[in-house]
Amino acid sequence: MTDTERAGQSNAPEGSGRLHTLVVLVNDRHGALDRIINVLRRRRAKMQTFTIGRSELPDIMRLTVVINDSEVGVEHLVEQLRKVFDVRHIVNLLSEQTISRELALIKVNSNEAHRGEVIELSHLFGAHVVDVTSETVTLEVTGNEEKVEKLVSQLQSYGIREVARTGFVAMTRGTGNM
Amino acid sequence: MQITATITQKPETGQTPSTHGIKEMGAQNMEARELAGSHILCEALVREGVELLYGYPGGAIMPFYDALTSYPTLHHVLVRHEQAAAHAADGYARATGKVGVCVATSGPGATNLVTGLTTAYMDSTPILAITGQVGRPFIGRDAFQETDVIGVTQPITKHSFLVQNVEDLAEIVHEAFRLALSGRPGPVLIDIPKDVQISKTLYRPSASISSSEYLRAARVPEPSAAALTQAAKLIREAQRPLIMAGHGVILSNAYQELFVFAEKTNIPVITTLLGLSSFPETHPLAIGMPGMHGPAYVNHAISAADLIIGVGLRFDDRVSGKVSEFAPHARLIHIDIDPSEMHKVKVAAVPIVADAKAALAALIEAVEPGDHSSWINEVRSWEAQDIERGSGIKRDQEYPDPTSILDAIHAETNGEAVIVTDVGQNQMWTARHYTWTRPNSHITSGGLGTMGFALPAAMGVKMGMPDAPVWVVAGDGGIQMNIQELATLHQEGIAVKVAIMNNGYLGMVRQWQQFFHAGNYSETPITGPDYVQLASAYGLTGICVTRREDVAAAVHQAMEKEGTVIIDFVIESQSNVYPMVIPGTAITNMIEETVEENAGDD
Repeated sequence: MTDTERAGQSNAPEGSGRLHTLVVLVNDRHGALDRIINVLRRRRAKMQTFTIGRSELPDIMRLTVVINDSEVGVEHLVEQLRKVFDVRHIVNLLSEQTISRELALIKVNSNEAHRGEVIELSHLFGAHVVDVTSETVTLEVTGNEEKVEKLVSQLQSYGIREVARTGFVAMTRGTGNM
Repeated sequence: MQITATITQKPETGQTPSTHGIKEMGAQNMEARELAGSHILCEALVREGVELLYGYPGGAIMPFYDALTSYPTLHHVLVRHEQAAAHAADGYARATGKVGVCVATSGPGATNLVTGLTTAYMDSTPILAITGQVGRPFIGRDAFQETDVIGVTQPITKHSFLVQNVEDLAEIVHEAFRLALSGRPGPVLIDIPKDVQISKTLYRPSASISSSEYLRAARVPEPSAAALTQAAKLIREAQRPLIMAGHGVILSNAYQELFVFAEKTNIPVITTLLGLSSFPETHPLAIGMPGMHGPAYVNHAISAADLIIGVGLRFDDRVSGKVSEFAPHARLIHIDIDPSEMHKVKVAAVPIVADAKAALAALIEAVEPGDHSSWINEVRSWEAQDIERGSGIKRDQEYPDPTSILDAIHAETNGEAVIVTDVGQNQMWTARHYTWTRPNSHITSGGLGTMGFALPAAMGVKMGMPDAPVWVVAGDGGIQMNIQELATLHQEGIAVKVAIMNNGYLGMVRQWQQFFHAGNYSETPITGPDYVQLASAYGLTGICVTRREDVAAAVHQAMEKEGTVIIDFVIESQSNVYPMVIPGTAITNMIEETVEENAGDD
């Protein structure tokens, strides 16, 4: 694309957004997370999920942020996040090279009559039963967005009481690291 | 499985950079001593070359003030409001390129710094704010004078540190200096709990890299060969090129490089508000300021240009106007040290993330000598049309007017004055009508537009450049926002000359009301004190000028008189800044002064 065809960040066309997965390695220090959240807030980033956990390195946290933004918008966001003092590294993962997973706990209504069905259905998705009461079954499922969404929608007819999702963690396929 | 991940080091931050060699240097002759945090802070400031601090004591910062008297090379200026401390530090930083330091106590002291920090943040100036914090056991318990100053200042600083252990203090101070100065400069804050200031630890200076050691060893971001080749090609092919020089030229001290580059390529130079005085305005290639209050011909030149070489500017909305109609025919070579500025407003055909000085030096080598005389003549012909249009307007000759005041200052100081402006009409008149010949002689709050900036900032400017005549140009609104600093100027014996353009209105707001709110002058008429008596009350000299013919004599008198002098210039009450781009539209869509309007003014 040439520069004349491409929009600048401030005039990116409306509705040109798509999902981007950003992985951020950040020092585990006082205020580091606040600064990242501040940038996302100020940029009015449309955050879909935000996860944080330890990385393979000591004192470095790994964040995975899924946001909906235009191509130029997300490039700008990446550069702004890169400026945060405690951000050590940031990558915008391309979807075709990305392994992306989330975990969901789903508490479904289930009486004697339906319990077998619910459990059978969950097995189709590789989900585990983690709790059973006389009225409910709680399932644990791990997968990409499509898989989790699909299981949730399949279970709707039984009555879902509660869904808890972790948001996505992601890394690139193959031997390379970020 | 063994995981070996590498962390890419950012060049500008200075977190454990590859400068271990430096760490070893001089380690032998600096022995470790046990010191309290407050003394370690002073030691580190001295090691950073700090000579001046602006501040105000209070409960949570008292251990530091107690230590301060043991360090006679640290000259502390007691301001009358912490906001002024931040602006003074900012003025000092802009004048010297060094880090300006301000100090405040916790709570209200710290929150009073906020406007000054934001001003520095928006204009990328390196200042360090040191704030006291309540003792660690009290943090988060709503203690007396406790404020979460880290939370408050996160969006308006490059970084803010809470010192949680006295062992970390020295390294944090040096890290703060390194950070404030490297890459795109900016304000940094260190919040130090009172008990950390009192706690003792072993202090070994050589354990940390000072900012000057770091900057000597750090790699200056330079342009890539590919980018230079591409830029040189665009420059060679351009018929109507323009250079737009911003604050980055001044911050990277690239005056000489800009001068040589412009002359070699024969490309006209536009200077943004914060780029004013980066290029001599008397030079034949200097064409002026763009944007909202730039002359019409400059904005027309931008609209006609086929290439813009932007150096250290961010295409602020006051420069670009309606973005989609900004420089529609121009490709952009954008030089900036901050990658997040690339493509932000206008897509760059050649983005060059580099220090302005290094990039221009490299470009000078890469380009061929050019000749754009026909393009320059075309721009000059538009300028002549502007002047012709304006010549029919009958102007009041009785009152002092902005141009006569500015001309008198320039003449009286042989162009050697450093002008610190406030915000509003006074700022725009000065930007437009003063002849900028001395490098870095224009100091103003551009990005944030902070009224009340000029007087305290001028304290820092004067102390940073003691040999330069320093003039404040302010309106009667802004001057009253930090007027208390007259006491500081008096106590310190600082000689700042103050020109108040007094029109009895918050003039720029009144002008907008005239144009866009049907002349409904809501809360813009403003009174002020008798400035002659006020000056006298502060032990200073005041002069009131009501006639045009007395302007030059008053300016002369102010320069002759020792110490700070305030001149109250009573100007026409409803003068406007012309031309003016209608906000939100293309920069060629300007309101110009008309014969009719001016005739009806009296």
